[in-house]
Amino acid sequence: MGQRKLERKPVFAVVVTVLFFAWLYLPILAVALFSFNDKKSLSTFSGFSLRWYDDLIHNSALLDSLVASLEIASVATVGSLVLGTMLALGLERVRSRKGRVIGAVTLLPLVTPEIVTGVAALLLFTGVGLKLSMTTVILAEVTFSIAYVTVIVRGRLAGISIEVEEAARDLGCTPFQAMRLVTLPTLVPALVGAGLLVFALVFDDFVLAFFTTGVDPQPLPVRVYSSIRFGVSPAINAIGTLMLLGSALLIVAALAVPRWIGRGTSSLDLITGGQK
Amino acid sequence: MSSAPSTTPPANGTPSVSLRSLTKVFGGSTVVDALDLDIESGEFFSLLGPSGCGKTTTLRMIAGFSDPTSGTILVGGEDVTSTPPHQRDVNTVFQSYALFEHLDVRGNVGFGLRRRGLDKATLNRRVSEMLELVELGDRGKERPSRLSGGQRQRVALARALINEPKVLLLDEPLAALDLKLRHAMQAELKSIQREVGITFLFVTHDQDEALSMSDRVAIMNGGVIEQCGTPEDVYERPTSVFAAGFIGTSNLMSGTWSHGAVAISADISIPAPGHQGSAEGDAVSVAVRPEKIWLSELTPEMFRVPGTIVSTTYHGATTRYLVALTPDLTLAVLEQNLPRMRAEERWDPGDRVEIGWLPEHTVVLT
Repeated sequence: MGQRKLERKPVFAVVVTVLFFAWLYLPILAVALFSFNDKKSLSTFSGFSLRWYDDLIHNSALLDSLVASLEIASVATVGSLVLGTMLALGLERVRSRKGRVIGAVTLLPLVTPEIVTGVAALLLFTGVGLKLSMTTVILAEVTFSIAYVTVIVRGRLAGISIEVEEAARDLGCTPFQAMRLVTLPTLVPALVGAGLLVFALVFDDFVLAFFTTGVDPQPLPVRVYSSIRFGVSPAINAIGTLMLLGSALLIVAALAVPRWIGRGTSSLDLITGGQK
Repeated sequence: MSSAPSTTPPANGTPSVSLRSLTKVFGGSTVVDALDLDIESGEFFSLLGPSGCGKTTTLRMIAGFSDPTSGTILVGGEDVTSTPPHQRDVNTVFQSYALFEHLDVRGNVGFGLRRRGLDKATLNRRVSEMLELVELGDRGKERPSRLSGGQRQRVALARALINEPKVLLLDEPLAALDLKLRHAMQAELKSIQREVGITFLFVTHDQDEALSMSDRVAIMNGGVIEQCGTPEDVYERPTSVFAAGFIGTSNLMSGTWSHGAVAISADISIPAPGHQGSAEGDAVSVAVRPEKIWLSELTPEMFRVPGTIVSTTYHGATTRYLVALTPDLTLAVLEQNLPRMRAEERWDPGDRVEIGWLPEHTVVLT
């Protein structure tokens, strides 16, 4: 965005940046590399092999957990999108002091330590006699994710003039039609962005899942954690590599798809602050 | 107010819009105060006033976005006071344009007709015609975000006009454009209005815009119409101090009515033979436009008074002088820089001059 030109080469900044990214990504690259190791060793790479991926395919417990985590993330994404968007639209209309108080309360989950939320959810579920299962994980994750959706959607709503909705009504829409035909379509980039963010957050969320999950199937992060206690299997490297690949593809899609369909701006720009 | 504003045009058929004692109270303050107004079919009518005068609120009540506290709104003779916006036969061009960013230009322009369930062939033809009218024939597939400000403005206009409403409401539609584009769009808007023949109700705070485009102008202030008439009426014959000061610039002098003249100081008395309705000793004001005052070539029928040039400001086409008649009474005088005038013929500060103006240019305000 900013096109400021520097007069001399910023050597120091370049060095720091390279070090930063190395620190950030080298361990992850190591995981990917050792997932192809033909020995169990995590320190010496002795040769290329796909045996850990083969292991993974036959590890039904790990695969069940992967499917469970995908399910939890999908349902929680849809649920928090619906509720969070409704909350954002509602808050946009309550521009009084009451509205600001509600808006501030909405943000609390973002700053509450997750372990507190997790313990609270556990106490609530056992208190009302709800059996811990995937359902309780989803309930907890939705509660936790609504705030993210609301923040992102409100950000986008703030950029849309109230006149846009009035224009729709002026041109023959009932208030409901104006919402369906104009406001929601205008919010699509924000909804996609919020959806991706929530999916990514929920999919690998450990703390909430750990407190609220039942015995079987366990969400993937919980399963990985418990299996690590019996020694790290490179099969976990393999699943990590696959997940990395999956999220990379997701990000590329989120950046590219809006451009293909000619929308010009990507949903991720809302999160990364790029473009408009 | 001195005289009732003439808010009723020469009657020919049902007015497009009629407001009957329309009132809006927001949190205890009266924003629009018992407004009465008739806008004739096919008229280009402007509501002109400073921000907060109630002009936009009036527009929003006609569009249906704001409910009147009391009073009646008629569109085409039909009471629409409690009709929701989507059922009113009016359309709006919003100040922010309010284009639908998720639709292309054609989608935006055809939006209203699609809501009415027009068949696809007719819809396409009408959209194409409308895009030709606003000279956007080749931009139909563009997203609004890729258009310039002027083009976005045209899309907003086309999107509203295509529905052929009884009245088109325009809420400061040119305010966001730069000066040059604004002048071009003024002329274009006016010619489009002539071509389609739809009643335009134009809200603006720009007097220049209101004067140059409108058939009639209503000057609003504090929720009431101060004066309503043709651009010439409101400029040449303002009926209130506010109107005289808001449109153009006026030299305002306060004085007392005495023997058919206004005494503005111990020895200056400005005759106003045509003025009626003031009693001896009443406090009145006198307004004279700076460009009506002559600094040279005075004629016998003019009211003449001596003064001293205080300052001169060169504006290119004109020169503006401040002339002191008494130590605390200074008038602005605007003189054309005519081709025959050379620089040394202009006046300098300190010069003693005699200024004068024709009696019909003296406007008495009570």
